[in-house]
Amino acid sequence: MIVLDKIEIGHASALFTIDNLQLEQGEMYALIGANGSGKTTFLQSITGVYSPLKGQIVIDGTSISKFNRIDKAKMISFVGSTFDGVEYLKVKDYLALGRTPHTNILGRLNATDFKVINDTITLLHLESLQEKYTKELSDGERQLAAIARAIIQETKIIILDEPTAFLDYANRQKVMELMKKISTELNKCVIVSSHDLELCLESEIDLLVVQKIERKLRLCKANALTKTELISIGF
Amino acid sequence: MGSKTNNKLVIVILVTLLPIIAFIHLSSGTISIGFSDFYSALTNFDAQSTNQLIIKEFRFPRLIMGIIAGGGLSVAGLLMQTLFNNPLAGPNILGINSGASLFVAFSLMSGVPFFSSDFGTIISALLGAFAFGLLILAFSMVVKSNVSLLLIGIMLGSFTGAFVSILQAVSNPEDLKMFIMWAMGSLQQVEFSQLPIIFIFFLIGLLSCLFVVKSLNTLVLGENQALMLGIQVKYIRIFLIAITAILTGLITAFCGPIAFVGLAVPNIVKLLFKTQSHRTLLIGSLLVGSIFLLICDIFVQLAESTIHIPINAITSIIGAPFVIIIVLKRLV
Repeated sequence: MIVLDKIEIGHASALFTIDNLQLEQGEMYALIGANGSGKTTFLQSITGVYSPLKGQIVIDGTSISKFNRIDKAKMISFVGSTFDGVEYLKVKDYLALGRTPHTNILGRLNATDFKVINDTITLLHLESLQEKYTKELSDGERQLAAIARAIIQETKIIILDEPTAFLDYANRQKVMELMKKISTELNKCVIVSSHDLELCLESEIDLLVVQKIERKLRLCKANALTKTELISIGF
Repeated sequence: MGSKTNNKLVIVILVTLLPIIAFIHLSSGTISIGFSDFYSALTNFDAQSTNQLIIKEFRFPRLIMGIIAGGGLSVAGLLMQTLFNNPLAGPNILGINSGASLFVAFSLMSGVPFFSSDFGTIISALLGAFAFGLLILAFSMVVKSNVSLLLIGIMLGSFTGAFVSILQAVSNPEDLKMFIMWAMGSLQQVEFSQLPIIFIFFLIGLLSCLFVVKSLNTLVLGENQALMLGIQVKYIRIFLIAITAILTGLITAFCGPIAFVGLAVPNIVKLLFKTQSHRTLLIGSLLVGSIFLLICDIFVQLAESTIHIPINAITSIIGAPFVIIIVLKRLV
């Protein structure tokens, strides 16, 4: 799905390198590393905001730099660490914006669009939130709405940049469990960056660790390393 | 809770209200005119009848200009507020008006016949509005704070105001008089024969909005999220500035600077409809803006027998306190 071959990540200066990694659909990866190790830059390289310093990130055989905006928006969706809500924007209208890359220039929703939106609402149990304004939601509900919007965008890849940073413990766990379920059931490639080592270990997902000394990204299978070992290589 | 139907009802009410206000606008003024004269002035014009002449040459163009100016400035204000993600943005406060004013001042006082013609004035106003729109857009890339951007807009206004004063000091009395009349701001300077060209520009501005509804809806999530949803933010920004320049430039060319309508009306519309669907907000701004400016102009008409109040004074008297209310509401 995503092929990372001899890549150097960074924009002002080099942050870390990737020898050869392949990220698959149906899998969830947690990206961990110290502050300033380049996690956000790496995610931005996949979304195409920055180009890698060396090498090409290849998705389904095509280099990310060759994608046009619409095709990229149909391939990759992005969830930030907070969604503050927008005044007078209802949850259902916010969710509908996920269809943006799929609708025509006038932005009209067709039957397929409504089906995707409603299926996602059912999947994430958001029925009771639909009619609420995004400003009225709690932090956890808003993050859930943001994830739903990303699912509605129907992309093979979902990227979440520290989605649990502003949530309480129960909501953090809920988000991780939900993303894991989505990766397998909807066959998505999910990449989550996180500061929360325990949470990532508990969730039993594959880890992408930015190694501190080697400055290399290493893929560690779920449960392969203990917390102490992880701290020693990443922090 | 059935808010879609509520919003449709509000639109129906506004659509009914507009012709009523329009009729009151037509019939207010120093000379009272009967309904039959209105009808025949538009269907079977008799140039010998003073009443019909007043209607065709003064009241009707003024009414149409009121509708176009109110609606157009409000739509332009909505576009700017969404583009800059700032409820206090508007063509006036961002200095887009000032650009139009400066260029109109140059063209009216240049002494070159082409520039002081209708077409010359429109083109100057459009160019001025577009140039200053691009300028404020360039500033917005550097300044991240909304308040700073508004301050820059206000400074652009003072800066161009200074240039205009210098121009006034050096221009000849004839040109100066023409400019001062324009700068007072009025819906009254438009002639019947100018209506088609005004209408065409207005229609171009409005129809262009159709192509940006989707982008506007996405832009409320911020530029980064809009980019991730596949919106060509870079081009959309320039396109939005261009539409704003057409609407603002056109209206400024014919009515002079009109303050606060573009700022206040979109905020009223959002309060009224409680939605971020820009299809609804655009229609709402168009209707509420027209009604708002016509009501302001009815006040001007009522006072007309004794004093001549510029329309700008009325819109500011209503608009300025409104801005203070928005600011206070944000602080709470």
